[in-house]
Amino acid sequence: MTPASPPNPPVSRRAFLRDGVRLGAMTGLGALLGLASTRSKAKPGYVWQIDPNKCVRCGNCATACVLKPSAVKCVQAYPICGYCELCTGYFVPEPNALTTAAENQVCPTAAIRRRFIEEPYYEYSIDEELCIGCGRCVEGCTRFGNGSFYLQIRHDRCLNCNECSIARVCAGDAIHRVPASQPYFIKTTAHE
Amino acid sequence: MRRLVSRRWFVGRGVVAAVLGRLAAVVGAEARAAKPPANPFAYDITKFRTIDPKWLHYQQVAQFKVPRSEARRVAIGPDQNLYVSAGNYVCVLNTAGQRLNEFALPSPVRCVAVAGDGLVYVSLRDHLEVLDSKGQRRASWESPNKKTWFTGLAVGDNDLFAADSGNRVVLRYDRSGKLLKRIGEKNPDRNIPGFVLPSPFLDVELHPDGLLRVNNPGRHQVLAFTVEGDMELAWGKPTMAIEGFCGCCNPIALAILPGGRIVTCEKGLPRVKVYSVRGELESVVAGPATFADNAKACDPTDCTTGGLDAVADRAGRIYVLDPVANDLRVFARRDGPTASSQAS
Repeated sequence: MTPASPPNPPVSRRAFLRDGVRLGAMTGLGALLGLASTRSKAKPGYVWQIDPNKCVRCGNCATACVLKPSAVKCVQAYPICGYCELCTGYFVPEPNALTTAAENQVCPTAAIRRRFIEEPYYEYSIDEELCIGCGRCVEGCTRFGNGSFYLQIRHDRCLNCNECSIARVCAGDAIHRVPASQPYFIKTTAHE
Repeated sequence: MRRLVSRRWFVGRGVVAAVLGRLAAVVGAEARAAKPPANPFAYDITKFRTIDPKWLHYQQVAQFKVPRSEARRVAIGPDQNLYVSAGNYVCVLNTAGQRLNEFALPSPVRCVAVAGDGLVYVSLRDHLEVLDSKGQRRASWESPNKKTWFTGLAVGDNDLFAADSGNRVVLRYDRSGKLLKRIGEKNPDRNIPGFVLPSPFLDVELHPDGLLRVNNPGRHQVLAFTVEGDMELAWGKPTMAIEGFCGCCNPIALAILPGGRIVTCEKGLPRVKVYSVRGELESVVAGPATFADNAKACDPTDCTTGGLDAVADRAGRIYVLDPVANDLRVFARRDGPTASSQAS
């Protein structure tokens, strides 16, 4: 009579450890792939932007954005700008003098830089760190001048909220989602 | 034990509270909708919108639509008919606004002038065309420059003057189309400051004194030139106040009244005013209240689509073209004979 062979263990320790490591690796890989796919879905296909043709310069961009200061900034379309000596986007309606004194400036934060080019032309540019997006300069430029100042949401600042808090209160219904591949309205001109 | 609150009492008060809460929410929403919060950053020009009645010597006696869209400029012919450039057409209207004729052109008509012999001079941005009184093309003049953008025309017995905004110059032609002179270009030796045109609104008019009147909007002035190009006179100052020209660049258009007084048109704060030959303000024809929609921004692709234009007839009535409303308004002096006759 032959002695009975000892029963084979259902899983050897070696196999258990090997399978455990494999399972862990597969799980980790799955998690990585899942995370990657989630991240790619989170990347916005659309971003918020202001249509300058609808903007009514109501001032809400400065006060309604979740960011302080707002992600909305004034931008300058240089090809349209008249380089006016008396720029109504830079000076208050009745300035004491055409100088850079604070009381003469329409911008509440002095965010517009005025640089002499040649008589009688001046260049105007925006300091975005100071601009709060109030649109006061935009109103002056658009009403009297060529409308080269206009407001845009800057996407290096915008959080791209699911529901833009400015769009909710925009008086001109000017804020819409636009393709992220074309995130800005670029004003052009037929003058040239 | 007696219950402090019965079920009936609790439900009843709850319903009443819910109804009152809903009413308060509705009333609050309506109040918010009726009065949006004031803009703390408003660009305030309210005080300049109203005109002191002491300056208002004119009253509106008629108003009519331009039969074609995109009206830009208006001229008056020797027959006292109005020639309005609108889109690709020149519309001929009588002074009551009835369409008498219209001439089709291949591209948008920028401005128009009518000579004493009935020939109609039309500018198509970069060149001029000559039509007879029936609208048949007599000639087409070559474009003087690739940057040419004509925005004003005036015609005399022997000369035609074309204001070229693109090159900041007024060109003097003879009636056959030969270029004779360039007027108004910057020349310190001749004390000519040059035209400053932030937007294309250069206009030219031939005054009864034989001098040209040309606006220089970037310097807020009206200039007088001889037909040889010598500058004789300049007047005007920048201010939002009624005496001067508002904004960055005004006046944008001129007209001449019988006797030589000068009518100016402004944009931004749309105003039509009358000045003496030497530039003293005499009266206001109409102000921002009359042209409520005109202060809108001009189209950034073509800044000649906004603003105002004016002409005056022999009787001293002033016809103001509002391109935004696409209509013509007729104004007559309150104390003049034309006011009562036209109004009746």
